[in-house]
Amino acid sequence: MIMSHSTQIHISFPSVLGYEKVARDAVASFAKFVGFDSHRLEDIKTALGEACINAIEHGNLLNADLRVHVLCTYEHNRFLVKVFDQGLKDYNKATKPISIEEKVAGLGTLRGMGLMIITELADESAFFDESDGSSCLQLTWYCDLASKT
Amino acid sequence: MLEDELNVSTRQRDGVAIIDLIGDVTTFAEEKINEAYRQVTSEGARHVLLNFRQNDYINSAGIAILIGIVTEVNRHNQKLAFSGLSQHFQKIFRMVGLAQYADIYQDEDEALQGLMPTAT
Repeated sequence: MIMSHSTQIHISFPSVLGYEKVARDAVASFAKFVGFDSHRLEDIKTALGEACINAIEHGNLLNADLRVHVLCTYEHNRFLVKVFDQGLKDYNKATKPISIEEKVAGLGTLRGMGLMIITELADESAFFDESDGSSCLQLTWYCDLASKT
Repeated sequence: MLEDELNVSTRQRDGVAIIDLIGDVTTFAEEKINEAYRQVTSEGARHVLLNFRQNDYINSAGIAILIGIVTEVNRHNQKLAFSGLSQHFQKIFRMVGLAQYADIYQDEDEALQGLMPTAT
């Protein structure tokens, strides 16, 4: 079903690993509701899961008392997902990611693939610092574009 | 509730050590996967197949565990392959570069055929 008017959902969960699955399932249901195909749904689920993990681990430093907020809006074929955290730790946006070759060679952490996955799977992605000190990772998909292969 | 959703088991078939991964591959999978790999390696495995089943959720923390396995496989001069991944996760594995260290097969039978010429 394709809807022409603005539609929005809001999800909030504690900063505990595992809760990102709740968010990705809810947002995927919403994305299916507005008309994304199965390939795009998988892209949305995976990218959103990574964005939520980033918020839990970096933005809120795994503090279960702090919440991650996911605001999801669909309007004019644009599916916009904003993931908010408290911005307790910068995500090192300026740091060059470590390649898998370097990881396998033992030259850096094995983690750190999340941002690359997000960038590859979302049509657009960007970090924003909010005026209240919180951080927002904004992901966008367009309903009339195909999944990246 | 949220963390224990992976079943890991090992078996042998046609000279290949198969590690079945049934469920989500996330940070909570680290101990189970590494223990299974250590077990098959201690038993002398030269060819290791990670056989994925019912994996609705594989995230970057799970991929980090697999990169760790790749590192160990290289260190032990073993051969690694993946099977059973959905088209989506095959895409993700190629995206992050795992495919340059291990062949990706559609299913277990295809993987065994692919590994067979070099299997002892």
